[in-house]
Amino acid sequence: MVEDTKLIELKGICKSFGDTQVLRNIDLYIRRREFVTLLGPSGCGKTTMLRIIGGFETADEGELIFDGKDMSGVPPYKRRVNTVFQKYALFTHMNVYDNVAFGLKLKKPEELLPGTANPSRRQIKEEIDRRVMRLLRLVKMEAYAKRSVDALSGGQQQRIAIARALVNEPEVLLLDEPLGALDLKLRREMQLELKSMQQQLGITFIYVTHDQEEALTMSDTIVVMNNGCIQQIGDGKRIYDEPRNAFVANFIGDSNILDAVMLKDFEVQAAGRVFECVDEGFEENEPVDMVVRPEDIMLVGTDVGMLVGEVQSVLFKGVHYEMFVEAAGIRWKVHSTTMFPVGSRVGLSVVPSNIHIMHKMDRDGAKAEARA
Amino acid sequence: MKRSFFSGPYALWMIMFTIFPIVFVALYAFQDNTGAFTIDNIARCFEGTYMKVLWRSVKLALECTALCVLLGYPCAYFLASKDFSKYKTLFVLILLPMWMNFLLRTYASMSLLERNGIINAIVTGLGFERWNMIGTEGAVLYGMVYNYLPFMVLPIHTSLKKMDQRVIEAAQDLGANPARVFLKVTLPLSMSGVISGITMVFMPSVTTFAISKLLGSGNFMLMGDVIENQYMVANDWSFGSSLSLFMTVLILISIGLLNRLDANKSERSDNW
Repeated sequence: MVEDTKLIELKGICKSFGDTQVLRNIDLYIRRREFVTLLGPSGCGKTTMLRIIGGFETADEGELIFDGKDMSGVPPYKRRVNTVFQKYALFTHMNVYDNVAFGLKLKKPEELLPGTANPSRRQIKEEIDRRVMRLLRLVKMEAYAKRSVDALSGGQQQRIAIARALVNEPEVLLLDEPLGALDLKLRREMQLELKSMQQQLGITFIYVTHDQEEALTMSDTIVVMNNGCIQQIGDGKRIYDEPRNAFVANFIGDSNILDAVMLKDFEVQAAGRVFECVDEGFEENEPVDMVVRPEDIMLVGTDVGMLVGEVQSVLFKGVHYEMFVEAAGIRWKVHSTTMFPVGSRVGLSVVPSNIHIMHKMDRDGAKAEARA
Repeated sequence: MKRSFFSGPYALWMIMFTIFPIVFVALYAFQDNTGAFTIDNIARCFEGTYMKVLWRSVKLALECTALCVLLGYPCAYFLASKDFSKYKTLFVLILLPMWMNFLLRTYASMSLLERNGIINAIVTGLGFERWNMIGTEGAVLYGMVYNYLPFMVLPIHTSLKKMDQRVIEAAQDLGANPARVFLKVTLPLSMSGVISGITMVFMPSVTTFAISKLLGSGNFMLMGDVIENQYMVANDWSFGSSLSLFMTVLILISIGLLNRLDANKSERSDNW
């Protein structure tokens, strides 16, 4: 279970490479045993943030606090954090076993065997062996211990990279798009395995990805980033159901985003008509973004629909059909398990609670909302 | 048109200037001066005089190679490191001697080391005793190291530059301090470059000539000099060829040994 103590805190982190500002005033905390995903398009600063936590980059401004201590100037090899790198970065001059044992062989005997005074070479060797084999079992690679890493497939190399990073029993594991090079099926399997590993080991995972499905599957908390800023922090359901701005709505899942005007509380005008909604607290006549998820639009009879339109295209997506319906001058993306042929006239209907109203965002996106 | 057509000129060149000469050397090596078959010339290679020269050549070449590794590795390492990448000029300065004929460089070294050379002018100018450099083994060794050092720096530099920075970071991440990162990751991963460098330096230095003659004042005959003498002075082409063949075989054997040392042959081949 996620504990309610802040393990890592980022306060006002800024980072630039040359003239490009990669991180703008990042405030974030990560709790013990939390699975946090940094999610965003490439170039949003998520990897840089991970590298700052790992100690491979230094922030220009701001503080990184780990377990109450300021981490500035602490080199990577002195941090209780380990990393699974994007392209695995395995040691090609060593076999699988030695890759995993690398971190252990660097430890002092008293760190390796805390209870034993003056442990013998053999005791040390056995302890290393015990820990390496335990990790190889965890990633289901014990049969490959003596193999050269070049002889492994991408998925197997990934497992070794994870075992290598976990062998030092870090408090935090950083994962930089670790599944990016794997095929879809393997990626899905590994997602579940990583999640169960994290729960089994009870350590904090900070996971970087641009894949929203991956983020939703695994995370306790998702941090959506764009343009060096945090857009929204929350659990998957909250971010999906209540996206804070159009960027988040568009990045997580499919959305219909409409320019709308908030007439007054619970009433929004868009596509030439007034919709009832559940949002309040906006200014009167404030221009807003209105977001409707494609699966929340119901296709009904033309007599009962809020809008009436014509089906423009139909795509079969497996579980559902994706249809584009032209109504009131807008192309609506609709997901439905019932297919309506191209050219047929349908009514569109949305229940008020499925209409999401959000402030128009400024260029950099809204500032992060406080964590509930 | 077939692609192989374009390799024609190269193949012709190889046949004319590499294959033919080697065949002639091999033929001459087994002939006496009347053209009859003999192995006497080969047997003569194993005489004490020549074995002594061979030993001296190999010893000097080994010393030269060792010095080149010791000087070349740190040099390549700093040139490949991030902080030095802005100093492109430094890299050019390392390469600069390579672009000049080695005889010119050796003559330049001579004027530095001579009894009345530049170094001695400074030494005596400062009131010290004249330093006897030219004609010593040290001078020959200096000349060889100076000539062959770039051939060590370049392949090591290439292998260091090619190294994935993330692998270094992974080692740091797992708890290795800078010294451990170097010993356990950087050095082993750049060994292919070191072995290329050793090949590139040892091979030419074991057959060095001219340098030994010019800087050693003829006191240190090396195999290269002996072979040159057989052709140019003694006019004994058959024995010269025997010695050449003998050296060729020795070099082939050492290449074979080095290749066996190098686990990552595939990587090595693209260092040069």
